[in-house]
Amino acid sequence: MPKSINLHPFTVLALTAAVVTMTTAAGLWWLSCAVITVCVLVAGWTGHLRRLAVLSAAILIPTFASLLLIHGLVSQQASGLIAVAGPFRVTEGGLEAATVLGLRTAVLVVAGLLCTLLISKHQLVAAIDLSPAPPQVGYLLAATLFLLPHMADKQRTIGQAQALRQAGTGRGLSGWFQRVRLRAVPLVLASLQDAHDRSSHLSARGFPAAGSHTRLRTVADSVTQQRVRWISLLCAVVGPTAILAPFWGSA
Amino acid sequence: MIENQKNSRTGNTVLLDLKIERFRYSGAELDSLQHIEVNVAPGSLTVIVGESGSGKSTLGEVFAGILPRQGADQCLGTINLAGQRIEYTGLECQRINVAGWAKHVGLLPQEAGHYLSRIRERVAEELVFSLENEGVPRDEMCQRITALSTQLGLDHLLERDPAKLSGGQERLVALASLAISEPSIMVLDEPLAGLDAEATAAVTEMITRLRAGGTAMVVLSRTAKPWAGKVDALRTLANGQLSKASSDDLVQHSVFEPTQRRATPIEANVLLEFGDVQLVHPGAERPVLDGLDLQVRAGECVGLAGANGSGKTTVLKAAAGLLRPTAGSLAVSATTGMLLQNSSDQLFERTVLREVSFGLPKKGAQRSRVPEVLSQLGLEAFAETHPYELPASVRRLVALATVLVREPRTLLLDEPTEALDSAGLARLQEVIDSVLIRGGAVLLSTHDKEFMNRTTHWVHLMSENPEPTAPDS
Repeated sequence: MPKSINLHPFTVLALTAAVVTMTTAAGLWWLSCAVITVCVLVAGWTGHLRRLAVLSAAILIPTFASLLLIHGLVSQQASGLIAVAGPFRVTEGGLEAATVLGLRTAVLVVAGLLCTLLISKHQLVAAIDLSPAPPQVGYLLAATLFLLPHMADKQRTIGQAQALRQAGTGRGLSGWFQRVRLRAVPLVLASLQDAHDRSSHLSARGFPAAGSHTRLRTVADSVTQQRVRWISLLCAVVGPTAILAPFWGSA
Repeated sequence: MIENQKNSRTGNTVLLDLKIERFRYSGAELDSLQHIEVNVAPGSLTVIVGESGSGKSTLGEVFAGILPRQGADQCLGTINLAGQRIEYTGLECQRINVAGWAKHVGLLPQEAGHYLSRIRERVAEELVFSLENEGVPRDEMCQRITALSTQLGLDHLLERDPAKLSGGQERLVALASLAISEPSIMVLDEPLAGLDAEATAAVTEMITRLRAGGTAMVVLSRTAKPWAGKVDALRTLANGQLSKASSDDLVQHSVFEPTQRRATPIEANVLLEFGDVQLVHPGAERPVLDGLDLQVRAGECVGLAGANGSGKTTVLKAAAGLLRPTAGSLAVSATTGMLLQNSSDQLFERTVLREVSFGLPKKGAQRSRVPEVLSQLGLEAFAETHPYELPASVRRLVALATVLVREPRTLLLDEPTEALDSAGLARLQEVIDSVLIRGGAVLLSTHDKEFMNRTTHWVHLMSENPEPTAPDS
């Protein structure tokens, strides 16, 4: 059971932004590795390690593979040659470039995914609703965040209805493709119908709010968290500039 | 544009005066409503009774300002509400701010789930969704939740995920979400459908209390029986036309002849057997039910009774093979077919004919049964109609047709009477009889006691169980 953390969603977002921008700007392999390690530890502590590992692997394995293909196997560098065969040239510099770029991407992916796992979408929507942001922002976010879960529920229901008629019950890859084919059109049509049926009642309930609005849900916050957010945002903007400024014009 | 931002509890003798000469949906060839006149006084209970397709839901949406749609539907008539007059002259009509209108007239739709926002995590938040959008202070929202949940017995649901409620619980939460906004007039489309006895009593009591406080109630229903003795104005709606009726006529009308129940052979085969079965929803921590023992024999019609959320649907889904027991044994020795509680979940094709034929082999014997089944359920005329365009009762019969065409020996029916009008009920009764006559069995869940007593050989009472924890979404 994942642990819930008592941090304001904006604090988590600001910290993530600061870490990702500064690590990317620094471009140091050991810093990237350290950030990834900290992310893994936080994920383990909060009970999200397995999901973080699966999701990260799904993105990073193809990313590393493509970086190796581009920089590692067909390197244009003349020095540090490790192996050569026809058009393929493996060099130390090429492998290093692939690793550094891969690690930079890994920081973005791992930290970003951890951020999405740590923040409850309901807390995030509530935080935006309770902030001075226009009501339309909360509405847009809610509509976006809850669309996929609704469609997932809907496709499960359609799947059950089809299974009752012995349709889409095949196994293996062909069974999976058959299910996708059978459910796709009903899913889109049912979702459109559902949106139509609900829209008038959502309007009747005043959604999206036109003016000032309140929330029953509370979002924990503190002066310390507010300070952390401001410092993090400052780091996210000024940090990369400060790191990269000495190198401007030298490239 | 009509903007009504303040509540209209004015103490006038008439809150709303609605006169609709005619109403026609965009693209329709016939009027859906004609010569409608309704006056609603504060604290009154108006019951409008009608069969499926009579125009009840359309009238409800006209009350709520959702219809007519500007520039699309044709409407001639006037509405006087809270000192304001709205005129409909054909395609030209004043634009109504639905949110402002809802402060005066709130509508609970027939499919109560459509009223829920689906973007709140807990029932407590869903209840105050409208209040949040109005900017009501948090303390006041908490007070209203406490008062309403105590009154309706919702305390055990407040922390639940609204998306994971049973059909009856969903209706109760939707009704509470409407009531918490305290509109001057509440229009309730089939408010008691699918509710257990306890919830029905709570809703009836709530309606009485709200009326005492000046809220006017307009109930749209297929039967006036639950409202006998309480109603101030009773009307019947047929073919879009409203007429006065006496409560005696309608109660008499709703009484059915009991069917002849055949004795079950003692040695009949067991078609369905649950032995000490435990059922858990995927992702849930606790079982929905545990230790279920139940046998259904050939020729038997068995009812499942119990409170909303007691696991009746789960038992039926397990019997249909949609859910595997986590403990105990479940033996299904004959083909099963299941009618889901919500017809919309079971329909996904473009026409009724395609819907009923879905998944059947093109040259099989079952495919040739499609016209016969459509005829059995009186659906021939709707063969080329889109299922979503049909009245709720006919849609329910289409869903039943998709089950019957496969000739299941064991028929599983989840709240089959919900949304059915008297003609639909008669068809359902015939279907159940035909299954039993050919040696099949029927297992059904319903809160309709009259139907349960009339149809079933015996009733299995679901035991009280702890509320299952909803899986993480």
